[in-house]
Amino acid sequence: MNASLMTLEICVMALGTVLMLADFWLPDERKKFAGYAAVAALTGLLVISFSGCGACSLGGSAFNGMFVQDGLAIFFKRFFIVAAILVLFMAVEFSDRIAGGVSEYYSLIVFALSGMLFAASANDFTMLFVAIELITITFYILTSFQRGRLVSLEAGVKYLILGALSSSFMVFGIALVWGTTGKLNFNELAAVAAQFETSKIFLFGVLFILVGLGFKIAAFPFQIWAPDVYQGAPTPTTAFLAVGSKAAGFVLLLRVLFTAVPTVTAHWMNLLIVISAITILYGNLCALPQRNLKRLLGYSSIAHAGYLLLGVAALSASGQSALLYYLAGYLFTVIAAFTVICLVTRHLDNDDVSALAGLNQRSPLLASTMTLAMASLAGIPPLAGFFGKFLLLKAVLEQGAVNPGYYCLAFTALAGVVISFYYYFGVIRAIYWSKNVVDVSPIQLSGPIKVAVCICIAGMFWLGIFPTTALDMANEAAKVFGK
Amino acid sequence: MENFQNLISETMLPDMMFYVFAALTLLFGVLVVANPFSRNPVTSAMFLVLTIISMAGLFVLLHAFFLAAVQVIVYAGAVMVLFLFVIMLLDLKEEQHRKIKMVAIIAGLLSVGTIVAIFLKSLHATNLNAHASPVTEGDTALLGKLLFSQYVLPFEVVSVLLLVAMVGVILLSKKNLK
Repeated sequence: MNASLMTLEICVMALGTVLMLADFWLPDERKKFAGYAAVAALTGLLVISFSGCGACSLGGSAFNGMFVQDGLAIFFKRFFIVAAILVLFMAVEFSDRIAGGVSEYYSLIVFALSGMLFAASANDFTMLFVAIELITITFYILTSFQRGRLVSLEAGVKYLILGALSSSFMVFGIALVWGTTGKLNFNELAAVAAQFETSKIFLFGVLFILVGLGFKIAAFPFQIWAPDVYQGAPTPTTAFLAVGSKAAGFVLLLRVLFTAVPTVTAHWMNLLIVISAITILYGNLCALPQRNLKRLLGYSSIAHAGYLLLGVAALSASGQSALLYYLAGYLFTVIAAFTVICLVTRHLDNDDVSALAGLNQRSPLLASTMTLAMASLAGIPPLAGFFGKFLLLKAVLEQGAVNPGYYCLAFTALAGVVISFYYYFGVIRAIYWSKNVVDVSPIQLSGPIKVAVCICIAGMFWLGIFPTTALDMANEAAKVFGK
Repeated sequence: MENFQNLISETMLPDMMFYVFAALTLLFGVLVVANPFSRNPVTSAMFLVLTIISMAGLFVLLHAFFLAAVQVIVYAGAVMVLFLFVIMLLDLKEEQHRKIKMVAIIAGLLSVGTIVAIFLKSLHATNLNAHASPVTEGDTALLGKLLFSQYVLPFEVVSVLLLVAMVGVILLSKKNLK
């Protein structure tokens, strides 16, 4: 047993507990510092994970193969820590809108992070379920945190009910897989999965597990909750839900599909193609009439789940690495957009697109950030979103010889991108060319949030212009499935 | 306990008991949602208790004694008390008089019918005897050992989950928003 592999997880859990206890000693006006301290601690962990000292970047497995530390796990752990750092910056700015329990808000974000770290390393259905529940249950609370607002409570209840339903599907699926094969470990299951391919009960089990994961990533037909929850939840929660929770769903999806049941996955090529195509179309078409910014981004996140599924559906190493690269770009882009929303709507009741009117006069930095984020989501060069979409489409087209369905899928994805231009540019138009600008008071930005915004902008450009480093990391991580 | 185990393993009793408990589970389950005599939610909750207890009987037949005990103590005991509290706290006068919509009935029957059909078909297609499922032995000591050796990591993560849930409940139910 090699428990030192879990250094990051243990540190993050300890940080969560310390933040919770810090509430006792910190006076109310100093609560902000708890958030910045968490940012500093997580940055330290990120540096350690990159520096290669300690056991953080070592490969290996622990707890009878339940916990695995490989390239993929390390890639996703860094991803989750970066996401949590940027979300915590946002949470500090948001703290004046939370009625009570600011320290708890920070510490719950950190606990959700610990669940994501475990998800990145889960190599066993028990760990998969426990990690997913840790993430989801924390998000139930984070979603309904502004309980003075009815929309926040409504979002929390909706997420709770649908989340519990999807969990029950997943646990039922795990039970069926266990009942037929007697294996829970992904590698052990892969060794015997081929002989159960004809067992309908086994396939049913795998399908039910995919239902649970499909809910996490908001793929069609399990996307119903996303717009309502994105709209109602506090903005930092929404950002973390859009990036962290979705990425956790994807890492588990990759592991289940390509490590645990690769033979079944190969048979389900058409299913994956269809789900990916419908998800892209649904997200983009439903986003068109939206006027609420967070709801619009909710639909856009459904569309992006579809784009990311292109990488899964391609069933190839290049598809998997393109998915990882796209997720990295998506992280900076989406958090940039939500940070701007969080800052602009500080004194407003709603998150309507009209809130952005005149933003270029109120704060040029925020206006350009939002413009870049929308352009990156739409896939305009030279930003991260363009290169990510290019890689995904390339991976899909490479497989065209295997199945002509891939050409249709690539065409659908392109159509989705074209549709999405309309609503993303609607947001940009609202910033620069609004007719009736009511509020022209400049927006004051604190130093730390400027840093966070600049990190996001740098990330978008860096991934778009110098993709080599990130692409190498993604390729390295995707090698896990090649073995 | 020894005698009882001998009795149920030697005779045809287990088979018979299975049908009795399965029938009771189904019967009480139906009475929870569609009781022709009463639409009182408390009655429904009481039938849910009976459903859970008859399911505990099924667990005993599978030699999963620990699960059976948990089923009775946690679900029939703790969770049901919670249910009853919630039912009594809510004002359910309107619910009692509400008519169930035809569309809801049809949709429900349709989805249940589909799931049952698919399940029967897959059960039919699968040879259950070919790979016998692992023998479940509901020995509490063994379970405890497994929890603290092979499954210690998920067990510890669940403890964090419980901490988070506890903090969440306190936060969301605190009386005054300061």
